[in-house]
Amino acid sequence: MPIRRVVILLLLLQGVTIVFLWTLDALNQVSEGTFALFLAADMIGFAMISYLYRHEKEMEIPSKVWLVVGGVLIVVFMFSSLVLH
Amino acid sequence: MQEENSKQQGTVARLAGWFDSRLGLSYPFLRSAPAYSVNPFYWLGALTVVAFVIQGITGVVLMLYYVPDPTTAYASTQYIFQNVSYGRFLQTVHLYTAYAMIMLAFMHMMRGYFVSVYKKPRELMWIVGMGMGFVTLGFGFTGYLLPWTVVSKSATDVGIGMMAALPPPISNLISFLVVGAGGDATELLRFYDLHVVVLPAVLLVLLALKMYMLEANGISEPETGPPLTVEKKRLIPIFPDVSLYLLELAAIFGSGMLLISAAFPLNLPAEFTPQAAAQSTPQPDWYFLWIYQVLKISVFEGPALPVALTIVTLIFIVLILLPFIDRSDKKRISQRQVFVTLGIIFVAEIVALTYWGLITPGQIIPIEQAVLLLGGLALLIAVVSLGLFRVLASRVKKHLPTMEAPKIRSAEIWNGVAFTAVAAFGALSIGNTINAIVSLALSGFSAGELIYLAGSLVGLSACVLGTIYLIYRSDLRTGMIKRRVKLFEIGWLEELSNDAN
Repeated sequence: MPIRRVVILLLLLQGVTIVFLWTLDALNQVSEGTFALFLAADMIGFAMISYLYRHEKEMEIPSKVWLVVGGVLIVVFMFSSLVLH
Repeated sequence: MQEENSKQQGTVARLAGWFDSRLGLSYPFLRSAPAYSVNPFYWLGALTVVAFVIQGITGVVLMLYYVPDPTTAYASTQYIFQNVSYGRFLQTVHLYTAYAMIMLAFMHMMRGYFVSVYKKPRELMWIVGMGMGFVTLGFGFTGYLLPWTVVSKSATDVGIGMMAALPPPISNLISFLVVGAGGDATELLRFYDLHVVVLPAVLLVLLALKMYMLEANGISEPETGPPLTVEKKRLIPIFPDVSLYLLELAAIFGSGMLLISAAFPLNLPAEFTPQAAAQSTPQPDWYFLWIYQVLKISVFEGPALPVALTIVTLIFIVLILLPFIDRSDKKRISQRQVFVTLGIIFVAEIVALTYWGLITPGQIIPIEQAVLLLGGLALLIAVVSLGLFRVLASRVKKHLPTMEAPKIRSAEIWNGVAFTAVAAFGALSIGNTINAIVSLALSGFSAGELIYLAGSLVGLSACVLGTIYLIYRSDLRTGMIKRRVKLFEIGWLEELSNDAN
């Protein structure tokens, strides 16, 4: 089921980011930016999971546009935080 | 595979059931929400609460390190920046979320204004909401001082100084509440107490009251767009559907705040000292700039400051008492021409004053400039809005052709030119009238001042009459006149015959 795969991917991503966040130097200003961007990506991921769940529950088709926008945002946030790091 | 899935679902369902049986999540006391309310505009108030929650969480962490004393306040803030894990990040998120909270509260209020949520039976909800708005501004005012920087202390002193210009009973009360009896130490402690104890407590009480009234009255129906379908009126349970939707909005809002915090990390300005303050230009934070800009208009300088404060206070009083001022049953935007126009003017003036304040720190604004900008803007919006309402109304009534472009006639060109002239002359007349009234109030009655006032009023009356005349002529063409006024129809038949030729 594609929705389930997307959710698993998002959960995996969140797990990886949380592990990565623990490795950051909490007193460094650059790390603070990285932390903020990864957390922002996690939040978008959470919003997407919730959105998918609501639509699956109501047996509605989720909007592909929103999913693509969410996915692109996650990639942009993570990429820019890695560049910053 | 299918068996594994159902087994997994069974585990999740059992876990959910365990929590549900203990917390009663699936039968909450909150009423279900209609499907049309699954829209971010309906949840601007809830997002303001989310901002408040973020403020609470970050604020509690900051409280662990902050010391509310003039000798240590700045040093403790600096300590948070430099020595606390993610300290700068916490400060930045705390500040930007405070800004977002004020912005969201304002958007929530203006949305409520435009879609008439303040009308029967939600008058008290509006008043409580306004109270929450003032508390939100109070958070901004009290929190701004706490880092004890030269910018924050100077701006707060200006604010407190302005309060002194209010009538003695009010100014004494505010002074007692905000500043206390002592000097800087008492002032900072009072601000801190208000910021972390009094205002949160008041906001929570008001929030509980508003939630109670929301439960009693339900979510208001939309006042724009086509009539609601059965599908749009379908009720959605508050848990899990609406709750999850709110969490999604909160997550998107939170990620936006994090993004802004990462892009524009906060830098701590210099510490407050009397010497540093003497060299800086005091300027309030952006959400008070519009008030400050009004007070900076030359005519309100010095002894006329209470006049300006009275005007600002009157604006707030009108906003609070709005449900009792606009008592008509009409709720749709298309039917509330005057109030919608006034609302647009209000927003435009606040935006204009805020931006103007930002680019003219510490400068006194000449009355002519203020009148030209503020009066001109108001008049321009009024004319455009009235014109738009006329066109929209006539289109609805199918008086104007919608498929082919309308032919521009000489009368319409004349109407356009005359509207512009009335707008320009009207701005000047409004300015001169205000100037004359303030001069009279300050320097007493004299023949010269009275003639000046009379002249300005004649000019203003001519503009009002001119506007009515032009609107009448415009309505005459679209056939929307209810009562005919022969005086305004002079030359109308000639115009018609010219157009026909």
